[in-house]
Amino acid sequence: MGVRGRVPVKSFSRPLTTKSMKDIFTLTLILSTIHLATPLVLAALGGLYSERSGVINIALEGLMLAGAFTAAAVTHYVGNPWVGLLAAIVAGILLASIHAVACISFKADQVVTGTAINILMIGVPAVLSGAFFLSSGSTPQIPKENLIPWTPVILALLLVVATYYILYYTPFGLRLRAVGENPEAADAAGINVKRIRYTGVLISGALAAIGGAYLSIGQSSLFTRNMTSGRGFIALAALIFGKWRPVQTMLACLLFGFADALSTQMQGVIDIPVQFIQMIPYVLTMVVLAGFIGLSRAPRALGIPYQKER
Amino acid sequence: MRKYTLLTFLVALCALALVLAGPACTTKGSSSTDDKSKIHVGIVFDIGGKDDRSFNAAAWVGVKCAETGKRPDGTPCENKKPLDIVLRDVEPGTPNAIEPAMRAFAERNYDLIIGVGFAQAPIMEQVAKDYPNIRFAIVDGVSELPNVASLVFKEHEGSFLVGMLAAKTTKSDTLGFIGGMDIPLIHRFETGYEEGAHAVNPNIRIIQNYVGVTDSAWNNPGKGKELALSQIGKGADVIFTAAGNSGLGAFDAVEQAGTTPDGRATHFVIGVDSDQNCVKPGFVLTSMVKRVDNAVYQIVLDVVNGQFSGGIHVYGLDKDGVGYAMDQCNQKLVQPEAIQEAEAAKQKITSGQIKVTDAMAK
Repeated sequence: MGVRGRVPVKSFSRPLTTKSMKDIFTLTLILSTIHLATPLVLAALGGLYSERSGVINIALEGLMLAGAFTAAAVTHYVGNPWVGLLAAIVAGILLASIHAVACISFKADQVVTGTAINILMIGVPAVLSGAFFLSSGSTPQIPKENLIPWTPVILALLLVVATYYILYYTPFGLRLRAVGENPEAADAAGINVKRIRYTGVLISGALAAIGGAYLSIGQSSLFTRNMTSGRGFIALAALIFGKWRPVQTMLACLLFGFADALSTQMQGVIDIPVQFIQMIPYVLTMVVLAGFIGLSRAPRALGIPYQKER
Repeated sequence: MRKYTLLTFLVALCALALVLAGPACTTKGSSSTDDKSKIHVGIVFDIGGKDDRSFNAAAWVGVKCAETGKRPDGTPCENKKPLDIVLRDVEPGTPNAIEPAMRAFAERNYDLIIGVGFAQAPIMEQVAKDYPNIRFAIVDGVSELPNVASLVFKEHEGSFLVGMLAAKTTKSDTLGFIGGMDIPLIHRFETGYEEGAHAVNPNIRIIQNYVGVTDSAWNNPGKGKELALSQIGKGADVIFTAAGNSGLGAFDAVEQAGTTPDGRATHFVIGVDSDQNCVKPGFVLTSMVKRVDNAVYQIVLDVVNGQFSGGIHVYGLDKDGVGYAMDQCNQKLVQPEAIQEAEAAKQKITSGQIKVTDAMAK
C-alpha cells in the first residue's frame, strides 16, 4: 500500500460500564434502527412478491438505485416529493419489467439477468445525471421542506400488514404462492402463471424503488453514486432469513437495522476497534441463520422458468 | 417465431443502451479534437466520483482550470490561467476499473496521468514502472519512482485549526468527528482535530466515528447521517466530517437539529477538502480545505513548462495547501476572537513552535 503508518493507539480506554451502556441504549438507538431498517423492509417485501411467484430477484440493489435516483432527480425538478416518489415507483416498475420479460417470457437465467440489472444501474444514474445536472452520478441537494422523512417508514409498516393479508387471505396471494410452489398444478387449475409472475416481479420493482426513494429523499437529501451500498443484498438476506414470510422478514430487517444502529452507537463509546464493531451485523446474521431460525425453505419453483406444456 | 421475438427484444435493449449512452458521447464529442501537439492530461478519479463536492471535486477544479480557465460550474478560476491542454477523465465505477483506465492513458502516450486518492498509489506504482517515460502524479499517495510526483497534504495542520474553531464554538464541550473509511490518512484528520480542540480546552470530549472499512464508506450518506444523529444524541454540537459523500449526511443531520429562535443553528458541521460552507449556509461552521485544486494545477503547469519533478510535493499551511475556509456563508458563525487565535496558531505551526502530531508518521 502506498499509505504507510499505523493506527494511533487511543490514549483513553473505556471499559463497558453502566455509563457507557446508557450511552448506547438511548432513544436515538431506536430511531436509528427504524431509519436503517425501513429501506430494507421495503426492498425485502418487494423481493417477497417476486420470489414467492418463483422468480429470483437479485436485482433489488439495482431497483433501489433506480428508485433513489429517479426520486431525487424528479423532486429536484418538480419541487414535490410526492411526484418524485411516484416517478420512482414508475422507474422501478419499468426496470423490473426488463427482468420480468427476460426471465418469464424468454426464460433467461434469473440470477444472470438480475446481476445485469445491478451492473446497469451502476452506470445509468451516472450517465443521466451527466445529462441533467452536469455531474457524474449525483443530484443537487434537495431542500429540507421537500423531503419525506417519515412517509416511507409508515408506508413500510402498512405494506407489511397489507402483504400479510394479500398473501394469505386473497385469491391473488394464493395464486402467487401456488405459482411459486408448483406452477404445473397452478396452470392445470387454470391460473395464468406468466401473468401472476409478471405481477409479482413488477410489484417488487415498485416496492424496492420506494425503498431507494427513502434513501435519497427521506433519509438523505440527494442521490450519490451507489448510495444503496449493498442494502439490496442485505434485504435479500433478510427475505431468506424471514423464510419468505412478510412479518418474519420485517423482523429480520429490524434485526439488521438494529445491529447496524448498535454498531453506530457503540463506536467511540467502548474502546473496541471499529472494524470489530462493524462486523457485528454480519456476525449476528450468521449466528442467527446457523443456529436459531431452523430450515428456511425457498418456494419450490424458485429460479425455475415455467414452460407451459403443449 | 420465438427466436424472432428474442431478437427484437435484444435489439430493443441495445437501442435503449445507445439512447442512454447518448448524452455521455455528446459531452465527450464537444471537447476539443485530439490535437497531438498539445499536452495531454488524463485524470483517474477515486470511487467517490468527481462531484462528491469534496475531495475529488477539488481535483476536478484543478484540472478544469488548467484546461479552460473556468471552474466546472463556469465561474472563473482565480490565479489559474488556462494552459491549453487536452483533458480526459475517468471515473472508475469499481476499484477494479482503476488500473485499466490508467493503462489506457499510458498506452495513448499521455503526457501526465493523475491518480486521485490513496487507493490508487499501489496501482500507479505498477503502471508507472511499466511506462517509465510517462509522468504520473498521485494525490494523497506516495511513490518513490522517479516518474511519479506524490502530492501530499498536511491535513493534520488544517484539522488542528478547525479543531480550534470548533472548540471555540461548542457550548456542550463535546465535538464529533466522522471519518469515511477507517484508514491512516483519515486518522491524520482526526488527531489534528483532537489536538486543536484540546489546545483550546483540554477537557473537551470528542466522539469519533467511521462510516465503514470498505470503499463504499465514501458513498453512504444515509449512514453518515445516522452517525451524526447519534453524536448529536450524545451531546456533540460541532461535527467535523472527513467522509466524502457520506459526510453530506451529517449536513442533513445538523439541519434537522434545527435553529434557536434567533435563527442561529444549534449544531454545526465542518466540511472537508473543498469549501463546503455554502452547501447548507448557516449550518456549516467552516471547511477544512485541502487545496487539491492548487496542487493538481501546479503539477499540470510544471508539465506544460517542462519542469516536472518526481518525488514528494508537500502542501502544508505554509503553502496554503490546507487551511480553513471563511466566506459569506459562514462569516457570522465564527467569532472574530476564534479566528484571531487560529491565525496565531497558524503562525506558530508554520514556524515550528507548535508541532501537530502526524498520525501517518512512523
